[in-house]
Amino acid sequence: MESGLSSLLSVSIDFETSHLFFPRIIHWIMAGLFVLILMTKVAPFMASVKRGERTLPIVGEARDNFRFIGTLVLIAAYFYFMAVVGDMFPYTGYGFLLVSMVFVLLMSLLYLHDWTKKALTIVVVNAIVAPSLAWFVLAKLFTITLP
Amino acid sequence: MEFLSLLDITFFLLAGFGALVGIIFGAIPGMTATMAVAVCLPLTYALGLHHGLALLLGLYVGGISGGMVPAVLLNIPGTPSSITTTFDGYPMAQKGEGEKALKICVIASVVGGLISAAILFLFAPLLADFSIKFSYVEKFLIILLALSVIASLSSSMLIGIFSGVIGIWLSLIGDYSISDGGNGKTRLMFDFMEPYLFEGFSLLPVLIGVFGISTILLEAEKGAKSGLVNERIKISKGGGFSLSIFNGRLTNLVRSSFIGTFVGMLPGVGGSAASVLAYTQEKNLTRDSSQMGKGAPQGLIASESANNALTGGALIPLLSLGIPGDSTTAVLIGAFTLQGIQVGPLFIPENTETWYVMMTALVFANIVMFFLMFYAIKYIAKVVMVPKHILFPIIVMMCVVGAYAINYGIMFDVWTLLIFGILGYLVQKIGLEVAPLIIGFILGSQAEVYFVKSLESFGTFSIFFTKSPIAMVLWGLIVASVMFAIVMGFKSRARQKMELTQVTGSTRTASGKGHETDND
Repeated sequence: MESGLSSLLSVSIDFETSHLFFPRIIHWIMAGLFVLILMTKVAPFMASVKRGERTLPIVGEARDNFRFIGTLVLIAAYFYFMAVVGDMFPYTGYGFLLVSMVFVLLMSLLYLHDWTKKALTIVVVNAIVAPSLAWFVLAKLFTITLP
Repeated sequence: MEFLSLLDITFFLLAGFGALVGIIFGAIPGMTATMAVAVCLPLTYALGLHHGLALLLGLYVGGISGGMVPAVLLNIPGTPSSITTTFDGYPMAQKGEGEKALKICVIASVVGGLISAAILFLFAPLLADFSIKFSYVEKFLIILLALSVIASLSSSMLIGIFSGVIGIWLSLIGDYSISDGGNGKTRLMFDFMEPYLFEGFSLLPVLIGVFGISTILLEAEKGAKSGLVNERIKISKGGGFSLSIFNGRLTNLVRSSFIGTFVGMLPGVGGSAASVLAYTQEKNLTRDSSQMGKGAPQGLIASESANNALTGGALIPLLSLGIPGDSTTAVLIGAFTLQGIQVGPLFIPENTETWYVMMTALVFANIVMFFLMFYAIKYIAKVVMVPKHILFPIIVMMCVVGAYAINYGIMFDVWTLLIFGILGYLVQKIGLEVAPLIIGFILGSQAEVYFVKSLESFGTFSIFFTKSPIAMVLWGLIVASVMFAIVMGFKSRARQKMELTQVTGSTRTASGKGHETDND
């Protein structure tokens, strides 16, 4: 019995495949937990969704779609164009500076609810000043690499 | 006392500046101490180790303290940890005692912060000394213990463990590093990803994405309403503040500080747990709790001293074991790595000077926080009004700088921000927990090395149980934390059932509450 148990527990790891040993264990644990959660949490939750007591997360929720999707698109475009413009002026940080100005302006406008003259002025000034300040302090004073 | 020569005027200015920026971040609802640290990271790249530490610790202390401002004035906790401050703070503000309430909070905060700093100073070296003898087996068990404690204190243990395991899984993407004794092969990815992900996701972009970008997404979804502009902020003079308020409240102050420190030590437990625990303890133990919740100073004292005591507490496991105590210290661990510091059992013995510098920064940050908030609270209270359409784009911009510069200009790190921003958003939406996930991510790759190396050298799973008495004690603690979670789960379920049978009419509201995410 004793030897049976110790042979059950003994393990030898082949160095060539040792990078897969731990991930495999994690996969099994993840799968096990996922099934448990499906049974104890998701199933009752779905049942209450069916009865109309709750709504599905994300899909069934009210959301400001315009601002949410807008944010995602703006951020993705921001990252993309930063690299593109940055490649035109390598090692200067201009890519960051120029694209950030446009990004800050557009995102501020996206989130601005009341388009008054005063608010718009602040937005425009901020879009020019904030990236310039960040660029000057980080890239010039601290010589940090920027795109 | 050699470390004194390392302190210069810049050091103190940076700690003070950090505290100020932290307070501002903490004071803006939705912005947290974690975010303050994440956003200001790029500033530390150019600073030396000690100056960087001063700034980071200032931000940490300030960020946790700042949350009291909107909690008292607007009934909105600025950070999750000031949730209980709203219970008594807002009623006081409504009575026109806003300034008095804030000043009580400030004093409680500084006492909590200093007590926890003292405990940190005494306790961290001891723990480090003890853990220095740990082999891979014990180190693996420590990580297992950390994860099981996080999971058992999550709103549901199953969800907590699952979130932690997802974090571990994410950390395994990339190669099994040769420098850790692995074979250098990649896993959990397709071939085309190899140029980007050979070393896996970088820690800091992941953290900045999860805590910075996903917060923006969650706010954008709600329409990024400013909402606060129309509310009048009342901070009326009202005077009435004197130190005599603290008479007879010393026990409360000290007890709450200890509770805060202790909860801070438990890995992955957010600040709200500390203040809620301290608040309920005060309610249970005090002679007269009738005024609590209606504007009693004692509630403020309990809440604020506990949440500031978190700072010292959370640094204990970070510095002595390399395990972050909360999400802010998780970002700190990244910042330390960047400065070339490996936190763990050897950190304090090998870097005594840095250790003293850190303590100085922590204490000084608490003192600056006190003076800033005690005398300038009226002006600081105004930052609650900064409109989101100005703030958010700047935050995204700073996140980008932080991610891009971390490895000296890798664009993929910037995309990591977006990937983990969206992931963090989804995780919080479907009710998983962020804190265990992040701690799992940070500790995952170490856990792998310790686990595989232990098995390679001993060749049997039983080594994890029989290696040493410490291993057995650790197993005892792991089992205890799991049992604790199960018992608490049953208790709360029984309580829920009782409530359900008592109030049969309003069943829906009781069960309608989902998981509360607790990440600060």
